[in-house]
Amino acid sequence: MIKQTFESEIGESYVKAVLPSGLQIFILEKPQYSSSYAIFGTKYGSIDTAFSVNGEKVCVPEGIAHFLEHKLFESEDGDAFTKYAETGGYANAFTSFDRTCYLFSCSDRFYDNLAILLNFVQSPYFTEQTVKKEQGIIGQEIRMYDDSPSWRVMFNMLLAMYREHPVRIDIAGTEESIAKIDAALLYKCYETFYNPSNMFICIAGNIDTDKALKQIESAIRPCECAELERITANEPDTVCSGYTEQSLEVAIPMFCFGYKETVEKPERTLKEKVCTSLLLEVLAGDASPLYARLVKEGLINDEFDSEYFTGYGYSSVIFSGESSDPKRVAAEISAEVERLKTEGIDKKLFSAVRRRMYGDAVRRFNNVEGIAMQMVDCAMSDCGLFDEIKYIKSVTSDDVYRRLSLLDNEKTVLSVINPKENGK
Amino acid sequence: MSGKIIPLSDGVEGLFVKNTRFNTTLVSFNFYVPLAADTAAEYALLPFMLTTCSKKYPDFSALNYKLASLYGAQLEASAEKFGDCQLLRMSVSVINDRFTFENESLIKQASDLIVGLIFEPNTENGAFYTEDLAREKRKAIEHIKGEISEKRIYAKNRLISEMYRGKAYGVPKCGTEDDVLTITGESLYSAWRRMLSSAFVRVQVVGSSVPAGLFEDIGARFETVERRDITDVKKCAVTLPADTPRTVDEHMDITQGKLVMGFSSELAGDDDKTLPMMVMTDIFGGGPYSRLFTNVREKMSLCYYCSASSVRQKGLLTVDSGVEAKNAEKAQNEILNQLEAVKRGEFTDFEYNSSLKSIADSLKTYNDSQISLDLWYALKAANPNLYSPEDIAEKVSHITREEVINAANGIKLHTVYRLLPKEAAE
Repeated sequence: MIKQTFESEIGESYVKAVLPSGLQIFILEKPQYSSSYAIFGTKYGSIDTAFSVNGEKVCVPEGIAHFLEHKLFESEDGDAFTKYAETGGYANAFTSFDRTCYLFSCSDRFYDNLAILLNFVQSPYFTEQTVKKEQGIIGQEIRMYDDSPSWRVMFNMLLAMYREHPVRIDIAGTEESIAKIDAALLYKCYETFYNPSNMFICIAGNIDTDKALKQIESAIRPCECAELERITANEPDTVCSGYTEQSLEVAIPMFCFGYKETVEKPERTLKEKVCTSLLLEVLAGDASPLYARLVKEGLINDEFDSEYFTGYGYSSVIFSGESSDPKRVAAEISAEVERLKTEGIDKKLFSAVRRRMYGDAVRRFNNVEGIAMQMVDCAMSDCGLFDEIKYIKSVTSDDVYRRLSLLDNEKTVLSVINPKENGK
Repeated sequence: MSGKIIPLSDGVEGLFVKNTRFNTTLVSFNFYVPLAADTAAEYALLPFMLTTCSKKYPDFSALNYKLASLYGAQLEASAEKFGDCQLLRMSVSVINDRFTFENESLIKQASDLIVGLIFEPNTENGAFYTEDLAREKRKAIEHIKGEISEKRIYAKNRLISEMYRGKAYGVPKCGTEDDVLTITGESLYSAWRRMLSSAFVRVQVVGSSVPAGLFEDIGARFETVERRDITDVKKCAVTLPADTPRTVDEHMDITQGKLVMGFSSELAGDDDKTLPMMVMTDIFGGGPYSRLFTNVREKMSLCYYCSASSVRQKGLLTVDSGVEAKNAEKAQNEILNQLEAVKRGEFTDFEYNSSLKSIADSLKTYNDSQISLDLWYALKAANPNLYSPEDIAEKVSHITREEVINAANGIKLHTVYRLLPKEAAE
């Protein structure tokens, strides 16, 4: 096992270990805390619909990573939730575009909970009967999201922005696509992606690092390393359509306005992510001139937000919110982008938002869940837990200005959810 | 880790919850006023108006710039229901001084800032400014109208308004759109004066220490206010059983239906009386070991979610679920069957013990979240005893099966609200 300790000037430290199988482990002790939070995850999400394993090319139905997450809770010797019920731990799981994570939080019996987590994630058990039952439950989950305007406005935007990349598809798939899933396909995906070399464990809380490492080391089952290659979509640089709309039961129109970034490498560096986040604060954060103008003109409310949305092979900047006039909001944002490109960045505002970002980063260490989630990001992108704080302290307004070039007004999509005309 | 109440003025309390594990310090102001149809909207507007601008920061951009400079101080506002009261909350949290670049005294600045916002609003001649008022009214109306977007929340709120029609608890927590429209600069100013003079007030600090001079400053500020008719936070009407349960159907252009059921509970009031309800609700529809999860979701595959929650102060139990229209009746019958099973004591020791352990385990995690701790104590304002999460965890461990069965037997179906898709033919 390779083991390293990292310390930060804010008084936190963590251990990163890598087992011979390739499993990455991150542990941050919080001896003052009552609780702990653990995540066992894999770099496998909804975008992994085509891949090659040991030379064999495989295409799988959309939504299968999420389906697998649901089914993994059942093992031959019973349901994982039943086992957690005996310890009192809180357990859950989630699937996103690029990862699947199984987690628990507890204030008691940490090592018993860890044993349950390590066991069930490594014990797949799928039968045709249990797969069929899950199709009913997930079908209801998909229908729930069909009625969610905030979900639809985002996915409609992705559909208009991406032509080929599977980020355009709903994480849970569709009722039609999940009907194609069977036990054999689930085993195929499990064996490919649930290999320790593709996985990570992240723990934060009141625990003993050495004891946890020992337990993990002895519980990880030997596994042949499969030769896995992700087949990346050949995504064009342009968007499919600049505008998309749908009518749902909402009272005020909702919007997502996105800028597609040209992706030269599959992943973005930490510096690019930090600079882009700072840029969004300067451009449209609540202390920016644009934000003030949009509020004063009655065009946005407290729901207005922006984010840097990026993962393997995709990247975009998204502004979202509610507005009586989404087209005008989009036009105002585009105009502000051009103004900043010409006039540069307000140094005083940059300094204030940099402080905010630093404060937010310090604040995240308050919370064991937040720390564990950040460690997942570190495992996914191969960076250190304290790199962000270090970088925020040294970043300059020129670094941020350079990121403005990613906002190309020729590559935008506006997605709008309109109220139903005869709706309530 | 419970704190001690410090009287600051008539009906104004300070509470310091010492907890040294956080990198931040949080100060919250909690104003409890009676929940009533004619005042809900203007009271609910106050926390948002007061945290957007003030005498010192007349422009919200200037205030937001200041917050960013204070290393992203988080200023939050909300209006919530608290039994038959409205809880108006304003809080600020900021990173501790030792983390700043130049050892600045952030905590003092942040606490002075929030005191200034609450006591020195941007007003002139007994009224808020038209421009500020128009902005906040627009945002409030959009917020109220926007509720329809989240169908699960919308359906639950509709059940409450149907179940408590004509009663305080049935008043929407932020009032209605029409109520917001009638607010004037003068009426909001007078609501602000009333809030200062008659609300029950709790100022809470969660962190390593109380910001220097904060409690003294608040005491002095309230000395200049004539305190009268102070809200009695303990006053809360319990939910009475319905003569005949009522079903309300509403149709919308949606894919999935929502089924929400409201029940009255004979056990109502503070923690000392109602903890068996907490356990009963959890066995019935709490964790994945609960009757509703294992039967309605897992065995019958009827829905993605089906869970129970209770407002013990009111003696209210609700079940909410997302179901196909064609399965709504089947799901409702099964939910009622499961309730009957709990009433007959037909739950296993495994379910009972799992529930006790799960509740205790999650209560102990409260101490690790500054926001949860702050809210915990704010929502205990009506309790004569200041119980900490560990105190309640300890008490829950002694709740017996019989107490759970008794609690279940006091539960009666009151109102069913169903949000259903419009027929395809329509």
